[in-house]
Amino acid sequence: MSDQPDTDQAAESPTSEPTPLEVFAADVTERLGCLSYDVEFDTVRVFVDKDKWVDTINEARTELPFFSWLSAIDWSKDYEVGEGVADPDSLEERFEVICRLSSVTNGDGVNFVTVLPRENPTIGSLTESIGGAEWHEREAHEMFGIMFEGHNNLIPLYLPDDFIGNPLLKSFPLIAREVKPWPGEVDVEGLPETDDEEDES
Amino acid sequence: MTSRELMHRSEVAVSVELETPNMTLNIGPQHPSTHGVLRLIATVDGERITSLEPVIGYMHRGYEKLAEVRTYAQITTLVNRIDWVSGFANEVPFILGVERLMKVEAPERAQWIRLILSELFRISSHLVFMSSYPLELGATTPLMYVLREREYILELIEGLTGGRFHPNFNRVGGIKPNYGGGSQSKKQSMDLPAGFFKSTIEAMDRMNKICDDIDILVTGNELFKARTVDIGVIPAEKALEFGLSGPNLRASGIAYDLRKIENYLPYDQLDFNVISRPGGDCFDRYMVRLEEIRESVKIVRQAIDIIPSGPLQAKVPRILKVPRGQVYSRAENPKGEFGYYIVSEGGKMPYRLKIRSTSFSNLSILSWVLKDQLIPDLVAIMGSLDFVLGDVDR
Amino acid sequence: MNFLLFLGVKVALLLAIVLTAALVTIYVELKAGSHMQTRIGPYYAGGKWGWAQPLADGAKFLQKEDLAPAKADRTVFGFAPYVVMMSSLAIFAVIPLHGSFVATRLDLGVFFILAISSLSVLGVLMAGWSSANKYSLIGGLRAAAQLIAYELPLVLAVVAVVIQAGTMSLVGIVEAQQATLFTINGIAISLPYILTGQVVGFIIFMVASIAELSRIPFDMPIAESELTMGYLTEYSGIRFSMFFLGEYASMVGLSAIAATLYLGGYGVPFLPQSMEAFAGPAVLLLKVSALVFFIIWIRWTWPRLREDQLQSMAWRWLIPISLLNIAVIGVFKVVL
Repeated sequence: MSDQPDTDQAAESPTSEPTPLEVFAADVTERLGCLSYDVEFDTVRVFVDKDKWVDTINEARTELPFFSWLSAIDWSKDYEVGEGVADPDSLEERFEVICRLSSVTNGDGVNFVTVLPRENPTIGSLTESIGGAEWHEREAHEMFGIMFEGHNNLIPLYLPDDFIGNPLLKSFPLIAREVKPWPGEVDVEGLPETDDEEDES
Repeated sequence: MTSRELMHRSEVAVSVELETPNMTLNIGPQHPSTHGVLRLIATVDGERITSLEPVIGYMHRGYEKLAEVRTYAQITTLVNRIDWVSGFANEVPFILGVERLMKVEAPERAQWIRLILSELFRISSHLVFMSSYPLELGATTPLMYVLREREYILELIEGLTGGRFHPNFNRVGGIKPNYGGGSQSKKQSMDLPAGFFKSTIEAMDRMNKICDDIDILVTGNELFKARTVDIGVIPAEKALEFGLSGPNLRASGIAYDLRKIENYLPYDQLDFNVISRPGGDCFDRYMVRLEEIRESVKIVRQAIDIIPSGPLQAKVPRILKVPRGQVYSRAENPKGEFGYYIVSEGGKMPYRLKIRSTSFSNLSILSWVLKDQLIPDLVAIMGSLDFVLGDVDR
Repeated sequence: MNFLLFLGVKVALLLAIVLTAALVTIYVELKAGSHMQTRIGPYYAGGKWGWAQPLADGAKFLQKEDLAPAKADRTVFGFAPYVVMMSSLAIFAVIPLHGSFVATRLDLGVFFILAISSLSVLGVLMAGWSSANKYSLIGGLRAAAQLIAYELPLVLAVVAVVIQAGTMSLVGIVEAQQATLFTINGIAISLPYILTGQVVGFIIFMVASIAELSRIPFDMPIAESELTMGYLTEYSGIRFSMFFLGEYASMVGLSAIAATLYLGGYGVPFLPQSMEAFAGPAVLLLKVSALVFFIIWIRWTWPRLREDQLQSMAWRWLIPISLLNIAVIGVFKVVL
């Protein structure tokens, strides 16, 4: 679906018909009692209330049985590395925990998103019904500091035992850059030129 | 009564009387049979494993954090190295995701070349499995034969991209056009090297031959079957619960292949089968990979017949700024479903890049599947899951 | 005095023959195994064919540091390789190269061989236990279980031969195989035991001896990809080379026993008596080489059996079949 040119996508005109993906997303949202949905770039995101997280996921697994991954995004205004958000003034600082379930018979897949506050982010753990969630939740915990209630082995997965901090938070510096400053964007090979320009070789 | 039941019964009787404590065995991180630096803390009772805890993270390189400080072209270089056995296949979903965000479509020839390279790397990855799996079970000879055939594929890839393991060949909007030769012969030299298709066809003949050789040497061997049939059975529901994908899932009876379901490259113009076996034991996982090599050979042969001529890269702006949006793009890596969740806030670098790596999910089932197995079976089962530590730890 | 001189000469000659045989076997394993894997194998050591590779390896082992783990039991640790080596070397004392060309002409040759070769189990257990290493312990226990399990089919197969020959002396067994069975056109035909009803026994003996040698497909004790050399993990230098040489020496030794018991030993059919002194040892060498090559061939082709499969094969298949073999041979001996 990514190969078709977007000439007939409903991006501009609000009166065009909903695409099959939007129909599917609306259907899922309604049936599972979720908050809202969002379809863009062929990616379906369904927002779930954090108190109903575990139940919604378990119910969704009856038709989307494949547990793909679980992770989080840290939406924050102050950032130590990289670029920040495009529009810092209208940003609500939060954590988003995303869990993707997909189907094994067709290409359906839904990214279930739930919003957590930045202070004391806690959410129910999926490990009782989904065994594979154990490692994903351990990783999200050590990278972001999110607590998963009901997870019986929430110890760091990747990091050494004496590591302090949650590396993937935006406020956590990239240690390699602290030690040695970045030389800047040095591209050995230039980006592709147009056809009329000369070859620099 | 089978010998296994007899053994289990006698163990129960002995442990009641003698109360021998279990021994904690630490396997790894440096160990000949773990596929890299993986540490397993096993509690064993004689030869039987009562519980197992894998400790990973020895190869954690922090890809997701690094990606937040790299431009999209630089990330392409970085992600080759996640699953280093299937180098090109790591780039493909990332580039496709960026192209979706930028609403750019790669020209047809570029897509076909991506397809051919993905399949060549799939063959290469499965050949690595073919060579190392019998070695772990004690058969030392297939290693030599199979790796020699793999050299043909690596030579092809090196001739085309310049790198054997990390081709770094994708660019946003297509694949890398080869420069060199000056502006006069630019149009000629900006394409695949001469004789590439011919050598590819020859290499594919060799691949079929090595599959037949391995069939004779390993598959029919009674000892090999005794070590792999009915060992490490993973039922389909457990596989879905843990996120197992690729040949592991297809060997448990679920014929789920992203090449048929999601049209990320022009696979719908090709005719190939999805190999799936109902059993779910180690032998099935081995057979699925063996047959997949043959299917990939078919795909490459058809692709070489169909591939059109044309430009290799679409026009993209010089400074790549990707518009705001979130996209999840996935592809069928040799080891399973490999995906990237790209969160872009309109800059030159992504705001967050979540990498859904196949071996991470494939390995998470290890402590479940190895309960109450024997230590030699640990090696057989772990080998059959075919994971790469770089993929697990990112 | 004369006796001691004679004894010294015998011992020296025996050691020379056995160690040369072991070194040649090591070289053949390296070269033939490599060619089976489409590799070249040793190439540089000693000129074109790398024949000096085993010698170079031996010299390397000799000059290594004498290491032992800190918690190891040093006496037992040091003694274990020599126990294994001794039990492999002692077999050769009774193998006849020719009717009168044997180190010791024992009437109980077969009994002596079986008894001495069982001592290697002790050596293996000593090595596994004294290494103070969990892997070595597991390997040592596995090895002991395997060696004990496969002693029985070995012994039982040999018992069948003894019944058929009527004597336990190795020279006597060879001469029994040279007894004329029938004549064709005036030429006396004698057949080795493998062709006169001992096929099953031969197969059992070969399987059991590969297991006694802990070679693939029975090399669980030193399963390299699982236990990093099992009971041998902590050994290096001279001690390791003793184990190594002992393994190859017993490979030659067990093949020589198989050749003597089943293939006719030094006996050559249709040969006048005068040539026997030369042809006998050459023929025995040929037979032993064929069997050793067969054992090497199997090692490079097949994967290894798991421990419980190995044990079940010994106890549930080999021992009953060998008992049946004895019964059948006994019946035929009495009837025919």
